[in-house]
Amino acid sequence: MAGGALLGRLSWRLGRVAEVRLETPRVASLLLDVPGWEGHLPGQHVDVRLTAEDGYQAERSYSIASAPDGRRVELAVERIDDGEVSPYLAGELRAGDQFELRGPIGGYFVWQPGLGGPLLLVAGGSGVVPLMAMLRHRSATGSSTPARLLYSSRSLEDVIYRRELERLVAAGDGVTVTHTLTRAQPPGWEGHDRRIDAAMLKEVGWPPGDRPLVYVCGPTRLVEAVADDLVALGHDPDLVRTERFGPTGV
Amino acid sequence: MDERDLRLDGNAIAGMLAEVFRFDMTVEWSGCAACGARNQLGALQAYAHGMGAVLSCPGCGQALLRVARGGGRWWLDLRGMEWLQLDERARMPE
Repeated sequence: MAGGALLGRLSWRLGRVAEVRLETPRVASLLLDVPGWEGHLPGQHVDVRLTAEDGYQAERSYSIASAPDGRRVELAVERIDDGEVSPYLAGELRAGDQFELRGPIGGYFVWQPGLGGPLLLVAGGSGVVPLMAMLRHRSATGSSTPARLLYSSRSLEDVIYRRELERLVAAGDGVTVTHTLTRAQPPGWEGHDRRIDAAMLKEVGWPPGDRPLVYVCGPTRLVEAVADDLVALGHDPDLVRTERFGPTGV
Repeated sequence: MDERDLRLDGNAIAGMLAEVFRFDMTVEWSGCAACGARNQLGALQAYAHGMGAVLSCPGCGQALLRVARGGGRWWLDLRGMEWLQLDERARMPE
């Protein structure tokens, strides 16, 4: 078991919204107080369950963005306009509201400093959320594992955690962040402006011989294309972990 | 959008699998009865649907595990899986 996954409780419990923070026009961070939360590992998720007045229930999974050392559990929710759950979580929830969740869940898509590196993190849209938990944890624990994040967004205003990512890079302790903006670029943008491809992965990532641990998270098409490219570039498939978000996002 | 867009990872249905097995199944190993590939369930491809989900082999596409819920029952079809190993360390607390 990778690093000894922390096992969450299966039972549903109530989380209370302490703060809602708008990250982008479509993404909100929810900072939750969850009584009895035993901590989590970076990369894990929670299941969220909403129950309508007529008893209809909808469940969704959301990655945890916060580092394990934080007092609160932080999620990020991208609003899908015709979604059943996200318009409520990312639009109507206010501080003080409560909803049911269970977790933390999933010991597979997890990184801890003890697993080593170097790290290559590849994100599409809100796929950055579990990777952010890894970067936050890396920073909080003073890990010296070199980490490179390649992050695809539609436009600059869709970049989640932009300022915090700038701060993590500015700390100068081994984190690089490379953005690619696939739909709209601000005037004078000199960064990448296309979907992530093999050439970009080769330029930004580590040589396969360095045996980087790779975590890829985002919409299914992006994740599968990136994973295929990485293997074609010579990366060991066993070192490439993926988390597909499905049809939403970039 | 085509069917490919709906593909997820075993990780995505970890909560449902934990309800059935009471283990964190994403870290557990399985063998594909068709091609012999061994994978952790978190690395399998998952298709979730209204009643449950199907986990399939990323190498050959074989359906390894079908799970469905309805009428107060769980249905499991593990024919495509040659073996499944459960590590006690991944047993979940209630």
